[in-house]
Amino acid sequence: MSTTTSAPPASTEDAPTSRLSRISRLQALQILILLVVTVAVFTALRPDTFLTGFNIRGIVQNTAIYAVLGVGMTFVIITGGIDLSVGSVLVFSGVVADKIMVAYGGQGWGTVFVGLAAALASGLAWGLLNGILVAKAKVPPLVVTLGSLSAALGFAQIITKGLDLRDAPQTLVNDIGFGNIVGQVPTIAVVSAVVVIFGIVLLHRTRFGLYTYAVGSNAEAGRRAGVKVERHLIKVYAFAGLLAGFAGLLNLGFFQSTTIGGQSNTPLNVIAGVAIGGTSLFGGIGSVFGTVIGLFIPIVLQNGFIQTGVQPFWQQVVVGAVLVAVVYVDQLRRAAAVRGTPTRLPFLSRAGSTSRKGSA
Amino acid sequence: MKRKSTAIVAALAAVALGAAACGSDSDSGGASTGGAKDGNYKLAFVQGVAGDAFYITMECGIKEEAAKEGATVTTQGAQKFDPTLQTPILQSVIASKPDAILIAPTDVSAMQQPIAQAKAQGIKIVLVDTTLNDPSVAVSAISSDNTAGGKAAFEAIQKLAPNGGKVLGVGVQPGISTTDARDKGFEEAAKADPKFTYLGVQYSQNDPAKAASIVSAALQKDPDIVGIFASNLFSAQGSATGIRQAGKQGKVNVVGFDAGPEQIKALQDGTVQALIAQQPGDIGVQGVQQAIKALKGESNEAKIQTGSTIITKDTIDSPEGKAAAYKASC
Repeated sequence: MSTTTSAPPASTEDAPTSRLSRISRLQALQILILLVVTVAVFTALRPDTFLTGFNIRGIVQNTAIYAVLGVGMTFVIITGGIDLSVGSVLVFSGVVADKIMVAYGGQGWGTVFVGLAAALASGLAWGLLNGILVAKAKVPPLVVTLGSLSAALGFAQIITKGLDLRDAPQTLVNDIGFGNIVGQVPTIAVVSAVVVIFGIVLLHRTRFGLYTYAVGSNAEAGRRAGVKVERHLIKVYAFAGLLAGFAGLLNLGFFQSTTIGGQSNTPLNVIAGVAIGGTSLFGGIGSVFGTVIGLFIPIVLQNGFIQTGVQPFWQQVVVGAVLVAVVYVDQLRRAAAVRGTPTRLPFLSRAGSTSRKGSA
Repeated sequence: MKRKSTAIVAALAAVALGAAACGSDSDSGGASTGGAKDGNYKLAFVQGVAGDAFYITMECGIKEEAAKEGATVTTQGAQKFDPTLQTPILQSVIASKPDAILIAPTDVSAMQQPIAQAKAQGIKIVLVDTTLNDPSVAVSAISSDNTAGGKAAFEAIQKLAPNGGKVLGVGVQPGISTTDARDKGFEEAAKADPKFTYLGVQYSQNDPAKAASIVSAALQKDPDIVGIFASNLFSAQGSATGIRQAGKQGKVNVVGFDAGPEQIKALQDGTVQALIAQQPGDIGVQGVQQAIKALKGESNEAKIQTGSTIITKDTIDSPEGKAAAYKASC
């Protein structure tokens, strides 16, 4: 972390942008503090049960599938788009994978890899369709993905006649869904962490990530600078679809069922996590890390409320309030940043103080 | 600055994994439920869905019986009857280390592993209402005799429409042991009577709006349906709405399963002609008894079946009818 001090001071031209990106990181940090405080409160209330290995393991397992979806969603939202179809694409991919694994037969790793290929291909297909409709046909992403939300679930129900499939091979269930990679570290969480780290590297370290920010900040400027905006949008939606397909296979391993009826709120939960994590729904700003933290918050709250005996319906109320409050605070800070006045965050000011010289 | 966030993440991931890894070591002994302690047991009840009169009545029975035994009960339920929502709730309940969990699993296979995890933590499991593919993880499984309940529903239709005709089932979703058995009991009884044509079962996903649209669409296709068996609370609510939408009140006999306040009202209004009431309170009472027995190290009955009562407009105000109706609160 000490390497950060060598970051070059921002020049006057791109000062607003760097300030904005700095703030989005600040936001992720703030959410992390919120998460830590939440965990600390529940730990204090239930010292003997909350911070136990079993409970942490459970919380991480329950976040894992959302996190895989959240990575793709973060990219899509950074481009200024939205993907409402992830829950349905997850179900569809799970259904296709299940059918193909049954046709292939067996309970071992071979079958799982066949299922993986099927799930990824189905997810990718829906993602490409979304991307082409958004980028080439210029249909607003909200409408495109609302359409595929409905259609993908419909196809899944047509294939299954509405009956959940439950033929996940034993390896998928016992080794991936509920297995441990080492000790008590759940495989599904490690798989998800790998996806998250891949997403972080892709977003912050590669040209693909840079283009994603560029498309979301100012598509026209990106185009003039030589970014193939349409192709890039298609790639981003395809990536989100691919991850939804992957999540479909994980879901099949975790629930041993295609959960046709159970994913209707999934896209909204994921979008809420992305927004809480500091990614701007207007595009151009965001981080995968923030998303993961944003996804943990509702799950930790639910877990803590159950353990402290609070009526679980409160979780929805609190998550709703946190979502709006976080985005409001974020909005205030961004407005202040654009004006050039320093943000009033005394307890965090050191975290981003390396280049805090207002240009106005 | 990019390096910074990457570094933070890497550090965090390491911390999280480390915590998960070493935290579990200290906990691997599981919640030792201390064989010697008498009474003061901590029980947890995980409902199939929150805010449903059936589970509330069961909760009332559980609380009553637990109070007699000096045990405490916490109740939790998801907002939909769905394993994806029940799994995290169950996991949190397990983490709170109760001595025993009474649970209505929302899926015969999807809940198998999560419940097995509870058992692995040394918690006694009692399945109430619904069950699992392999109920041996539980010390006892208590439910209504649902096949008999489904047959009773068909008998009610036979009485209401003695000339026979088409009958339809409106189910919840496949894979729920209880409603599957009800539908099966109904189907067998309907197919055994040559005067009746069984149109099959359609699934409402426990959504009253979907049940309503299924029934109104079915009445468009087959206007001469004489009887509908709605195998749970929400399906019955929706079926009654669907019949009202189609303007077929009085021509189609709806037999509902369960007797929540809404069904009782529907029965009084004449939108539903008969109700098959289970005995959720009794399931709860017996569930607590079995859990306490297991905690005291006594032997359990692996499978207990409770009965059902047919309620019609004639019996609704009788003492038996009133006792069979479900409660909206304890």
